[in-house]
Amino acid sequence: MSTVVDSFGQHFFRLALIEAVMVGAVAGAVGVHVLLRRLPFFVVAMSHATFPGVVFGSLLGVSLFAGGAVVGIAVALLVVALGSLRQIDDSSAIGIVLAGCFAVGVLVLSAQPGASRDLSAYLVGSIVTVNTADLVTTAIVGAVLLSVLAAFHKELVLGAFDPGGLTALGYPGRTLDTVVLVVVTVALVVCVPAVGTLLAVALLTVPALAARQWTDRVGPMTVLAAALGALSGVLGLCLSAAFDVAAGGTIALTATALFVVSAGVRTAAARS
Amino acid sequence: MKTSAEPAAAPALRLDALGVAYGRRSVLAGVTGEVAPGGSLALIGPNGAGKSTLIKAILGLVDAMTGRIEVLGTTPARARGRVAYVPQADTLDSEFPVTVAQVVLMGRYRRIGWVRRPGRADRAVADEALERVGLGGRAGDRFGVLSGGQRQRVLLARALAQQPELLLLDEPFNGVDSTTTDVLLDVLAEQRKEGVAVVMATHDLSIAHLACDTGCLLNHHQVAFAPIAEALTPELLGVTYGRSAVVLAGDSTIVTTT
Amino acid sequence: MRAFLFDPYRLGFMSRARVEVVLLGTLGAVVGVHVALRRLAFVTDAVQHTVFPGIAIAYAVGWPLLPGAAAAAALTVGLLVMLTSGHRQFFRGAPPGPRVDFDSALAVIIASFFAVGVVVVSRRTGYAADLSTLLFGRILDVSRAEVVETAVIGGLCLVVLALLHKELVLLALDRTQAAAVGLPVRLLDAVLYAVTAATVVVAVRAIGTVLVVAFVVTPAATGRLLTKSIPGAMAAAAGVAAVLGWIGLSASYEASLNHDVRLAAGATVVIAYTLGFAAAGAARLLFRRA
Repeated sequence: MSTVVDSFGQHFFRLALIEAVMVGAVAGAVGVHVLLRRLPFFVVAMSHATFPGVVFGSLLGVSLFAGGAVVGIAVALLVVALGSLRQIDDSSAIGIVLAGCFAVGVLVLSAQPGASRDLSAYLVGSIVTVNTADLVTTAIVGAVLLSVLAAFHKELVLGAFDPGGLTALGYPGRTLDTVVLVVVTVALVVCVPAVGTLLAVALLTVPALAARQWTDRVGPMTVLAAALGALSGVLGLCLSAAFDVAAGGTIALTATALFVVSAGVRTAAARS
Repeated sequence: MKTSAEPAAAPALRLDALGVAYGRRSVLAGVTGEVAPGGSLALIGPNGAGKSTLIKAILGLVDAMTGRIEVLGTTPARARGRVAYVPQADTLDSEFPVTVAQVVLMGRYRRIGWVRRPGRADRAVADEALERVGLGGRAGDRFGVLSGGQRQRVLLARALAQQPELLLLDEPFNGVDSTTTDVLLDVLAEQRKEGVAVVMATHDLSIAHLACDTGCLLNHHQVAFAPIAEALTPELLGVTYGRSAVVLAGDSTIVTTT
Repeated sequence: MRAFLFDPYRLGFMSRARVEVVLLGTLGAVVGVHVALRRLAFVTDAVQHTVFPGIAIAYAVGWPLLPGAAAAAALTVGLLVMLTSGHRQFFRGAPPGPRVDFDSALAVIIASFFAVGVVVVSRRTGYAADLSTLLFGRILDVSRAEVVETAVIGGLCLVVLALLHKELVLLALDRTQAAAVGLPVRLLDAVLYAVTAATVVVAVRAIGTVLVVAFVVTPAATGRLLTKSIPGAMAAAAGVAAVLGWIGLSASYEASLNHDVRLAAGATVVIAYTLGFAAAGAARLLFRRA
């Protein structure tokens, strides 16, 4: 416990804490749309797809965001295009694309000396090495994502609930779908410094799922998901300091624990 | 766009040799007919015979069309704001976290516009629509906890909230309870009196007879487009449904499998 | 070209690696056709992530990796069967029960299992190197014993699939009919999940937990692009996997030997598979036009 308290005194830890709160909150809120549109597999796939972009970005000295987001978005569009071909079903298309992307990332990385160390940073995050510039980027990107979701909130919920109705009303349904996929992909990339690509799935699916156990309404669910995401980030970080284990892992596990508790409470309440 | 001298005389829907093909496969052909404002058209035919395609064409959601279609005196795309679509309730996810009130408000979204939130006037219209279908007290309930028939009524309320000039319904009477059937018939009759045209795909021939003044029989091509009593004859239904139409004594016809 | 294709394999370790790749490719191809029929790509992905903690813990404790992976996979299969069959009762929000849909549940399982693995591995020093070995495999270090294990387990899976072929196909194409005819639907589900899990487990040591999904999904998809019949697709997929696996492995060797660039062997194989799929897709599109 004293380790944790000591950590608070350290600058890097405080930065990590702020990052954890922001990433958790943004991912939690975006996660509600992942839930409403049944996108968990897409998120898992994208967590692989953004990987080569992140690798390229880092190798070229460009922001990880730019690299990950560009490749991730390109892949998202590719998946949408492939999915509309009738020969290949969605999940196969996603599986092929994701494994291919990951292989490219691994390939590029393996060609570099010192590959192993960098690899784990991408895959499982290294939140304790974030600097102020990273925080600013996260804050700005996070704000943009949340604004987009807020601006199109009612249309996005309608589109998730009744895509036919959305189109019948005259809205550009496919465009809105693509907007959501892009938002989710960018949110994924935002999570990379904190928890890495593979565990970003956790922040983008679990807090929203936990929030769902408490409420039936999308508005409160979003707020709760953001809160639970932020909480997972903070608690997870403290746990990682206390036990000297990877923060990405403890953050993901904290989120899961919060979900299990929520599910348990709901089941108990439903039975009584 | 060519419109009549008196706006009130323009048909709500005008179809002229309309055809739709997906790739090389023709799914709909030769649909011709008119629906006047306040008129009511039943789309009748077996599953996959083109009823949904015709509805999509009216909504302007189909690209490859031959022939002409005029909705409320203009193109389907331009008329869309004035046309309300009521899907079958069971196509929607009943686990979705949305309330009855929110569903009805969805009908107002186009008028509210992008980014803005629903205002007091919108909520008033939505409440009224919900009252009209007899579910005023259920506004705060989650959509999915209502029965199938009640959900169908909520979707009708959503359409009413749009204050449309043309109502499009896809099998609204399918598997619903008698209260819902009564409410639906009632509301549709009332809308018609206010000049709203109704186009409804249905399997239920007695409802079609009761609620509609015109019938369009489809089996990938138009078999008939005539006043309802003339359309619902055993011969024409036999052509439409093939072997699934059974003729009883006299001239009642029952459709067995659809 | 001959040198490219045959020289590497004069070396013992390369020869074993090639056998391993061909075995895994064939197994993955056949299993993969079933996975594609049932749209189980997500499940495969799930298993590939959930075996990670099993392997990580086994590695940390010093045990052989196969049992660790197998234990984790068995746990996953158990959860999956519970989720899909108990699905309707537990997870449709009909009280009592939490509100969780299948995809979300799978995502939670994947994330949490993987997190456990990460946490376990991070406790050791040299964490980064261990992590990448576990995640990306070490096909060039595969031992004779491991190749034999792959052959035995893989062979067993293929025999099971062959024996149950028509039942599994019926189940995939028309589930209600299968139940109506009296097939033990849940048991067959469990068998397929178990075979998929076994494939992942066996492949994971050589290929790593991250790239395994390609072995199960990509050659099978390529096979299905090339031919419509199910046995035909399996044969095509296996052939494609064997040939492309060979080429991928050779490319990795070639790069490191003659061009002084280290390219991870597992990755080159997966890229070869993906390019093969793209080529088949392009050919298919072109033939449609003709």
